[in-house]
Amino acid sequence: MEEFLRVEHVTKQFAGHKALDDVSLTIPRGSVYGLLGPNGAGKTTLIRIINRITAPDSGKVFIGGKELQPEDVGRIGYLPEERGLYKNMKVGEQAIYFARLKGLSRPEAIRRLKEWFVRFGIESWWNKKVEELSKGMAQKMQFIVTVLHEPELLIFDEPFSGFDPVNANLLKEEILKLRDKGSTVIFSTHNMASVEEICDDITLINASHNILSGSVDAIRRAHGNGQYLLSFRGDVEALSTALDEHCTILANEEGETDSLKLHIGEESSVREVIGIANELVEIRSFQEMIPSMNDIFIRAVAGKL
Amino acid sequence: MGKIGIIAQREFNERVRKKSFIITTILMPLFMVAIMFIPMLMVNMKSNEVREIYVVDESGVIGDKLESTTGLKFIPSDMPLDQIKEQQLDIFGVLVLSKNIADGGGAQLYTYGTSTIDIESEIRAQVEDIIETEKLKTYNIENLAEILADVETNISLSVKQFSDDGEAKDSSSIVAIVAAYIFGFLIYMFVFLYGGMVMQGVIEEKSNKVLEVMVSSVKPFQLMMGKILGIASVALTQLLIWVVFIVVVGGGLMSLLAGDMIEAAQAMSSGMPMDMEAMGGAMMDADLAAAINTLTDPGYLFRLIGGFIVYFIGGYLLYAAMFAAVGSAVDNEKDTQNLQTPISMPLILALFVMLTAMQDPNSPLAVWCSIIPFTSPIVMVARLPYGVPAWELWTSIGVLFASFFAIVWLAGKVYRVGIFMYGKKPTFKELYKWTKYKM
Repeated sequence: MEEFLRVEHVTKQFAGHKALDDVSLTIPRGSVYGLLGPNGAGKTTLIRIINRITAPDSGKVFIGGKELQPEDVGRIGYLPEERGLYKNMKVGEQAIYFARLKGLSRPEAIRRLKEWFVRFGIESWWNKKVEELSKGMAQKMQFIVTVLHEPELLIFDEPFSGFDPVNANLLKEEILKLRDKGSTVIFSTHNMASVEEICDDITLINASHNILSGSVDAIRRAHGNGQYLLSFRGDVEALSTALDEHCTILANEEGETDSLKLHIGEESSVREVIGIANELVEIRSFQEMIPSMNDIFIRAVAGKL
Repeated sequence: MGKIGIIAQREFNERVRKKSFIITTILMPLFMVAIMFIPMLMVNMKSNEVREIYVVDESGVIGDKLESTTGLKFIPSDMPLDQIKEQQLDIFGVLVLSKNIADGGGAQLYTYGTSTIDIESEIRAQVEDIIETEKLKTYNIENLAEILADVETNISLSVKQFSDDGEAKDSSSIVAIVAAYIFGFLIYMFVFLYGGMVMQGVIEEKSNKVLEVMVSSVKPFQLMMGKILGIASVALTQLLIWVVFIVVVGGGLMSLLAGDMIEAAQAMSSGMPMDMEAMGGAMMDADLAAAINTLTDPGYLFRLIGGFIVYFIGGYLLYAAMFAAVGSAVDNEKDTQNLQTPISMPLILALFVMLTAMQDPNSPLAVWCSIIPFTSPIVMVARLPYGVPAWELWTSIGVLFASFFAIVWLAGKVYRVGIFMYGKKPTFKELYKWTKYKM
């Protein structure tokens, strides 16, 4: 896939600590790229460097193959995690103000805003003051302002925090739509469920270092460590005894259907285990237990990958 | 329109539409008039209490000649001091005129409460007058009263200052002092008022987290300049409204009340013989004439008002940049105190230098402080009514605007670090370090 943004050996030092240490990553065009990491890992610093809010001590950022220039900021839409609005300004007027700062003319800004407001069903807010809006409402407005100038690169820092599931879903769909229209999206979050749902690729930053990069599917598969779940009807005791030589039984759950959590090591193959089980019990399902991004995140941060 | 322009426009629109803008615009002139005139009224307001003073006249000459005034009542007394004291009377005090009062014996005032300068000088003046008259009588001069009336003279001293082109113009120290005081004080107030507005605005944006959203589309420097210039235009609008207000109201009053006085003053300064009766009894002394002529001289007014506007803009810009830097460094207004002190100090110092400059506008202290940019907006404006050499004026303006650019550059560096710093209260040393950060 075509490369859109490349971060090369970026290091940034603040008084006392290193926020980023030799971080490199490549973001493909037209993908949703997850930037993960625990609090204080350096995600926001990296985003600020990409936004040219702050400069790296060393290292470079390339956009579309060329080194990032001050004008390129116009190609980026950024929704920071900490975001605010002028409380006393009216919603419409304030949205126009932000849009004009992004380089849109007033009439163009109004035209696009009206379109978005209708799509989000919030036309009636236009003349309301911001202080009358709830937190979720204000965030909808901020989302619109971020994407209004149709930038090539969108950066969202924790976009779903403070949203109810209905609105979070609305937002998710809009983000995916924007990607399908050709925007590249960087998505910084702690919410691993949403990562699995919408991210194509991720980078995990921990303690200023890039510790894990790749596509979400590949990473999850690569970290599956030979665990399987076998559901069946039949004699648990007999099956357990028969399987004992071929694999390790990690857990045994009894219910309407019994299930066993197995670890199949080097000594046996999946086919062998299924063969034995098939002789003794009625198999309902057999599946590889792919770790969730959440597990991978926790293990990676704890240094246990 | 550039981004700075868009930001300045928002600042302007938001602030001018606020109710508080309209209210301050209306109330400020009233407030200013009040703080200037109330102390004057207070001084003129005498208590209407009549103070009784028993007079023990040992000299036997002066006592009955003392005249009671509206506030003082002299009551001749036959009793000696000790006896009056024993009676515990409800009076203000006892005046004892000693026997050889004219030859250095003097007089003593014994009081139950605190005496005042007014009372003392009233008594002294009356007693001296009486003694002088008595002494003159001993010379036995004929027609003394007529001679004294004939000798009595009041002269008028009109001051004319040579201007650069050698023309002699009326110069009025009174107008100069009043103008210096008003203009200097206004600059002091406005710099604090509008500079503080910049600081509050920055703090508000920072604690609101609006800045986080903004910095991805504009540079911190543009944000800072936009705010400073936006509030500057608010300030100039407000000033303009006040100037129009003063010109309309003041001009109206002038032409209504003082039309013939202005004519009289002009006639007087051009040396025309005056017919007092024809002037409708507009009594005129040289001071008043000079004051009116100075005030109606367009060149003089232009110099004052032009100077005021230039120094207001320069001073405001310089201080607003510093206020913006302080605002960016803190999280809330409570924390501004220790960072604001070093900024307020030169302004307060300038106000004190202004007071001395009004006495002696060309003292080395006044001259230097009118060139140093941190004090020049106030001190130079206070010197302007007295006339300032052109080179000093231009040097001062040049230095002021040059330092504005230097300060804005430094403040911009503090600002872009400050707006992302939350939590701890920085010291001045840390602000200095921030200016060296690579961003």
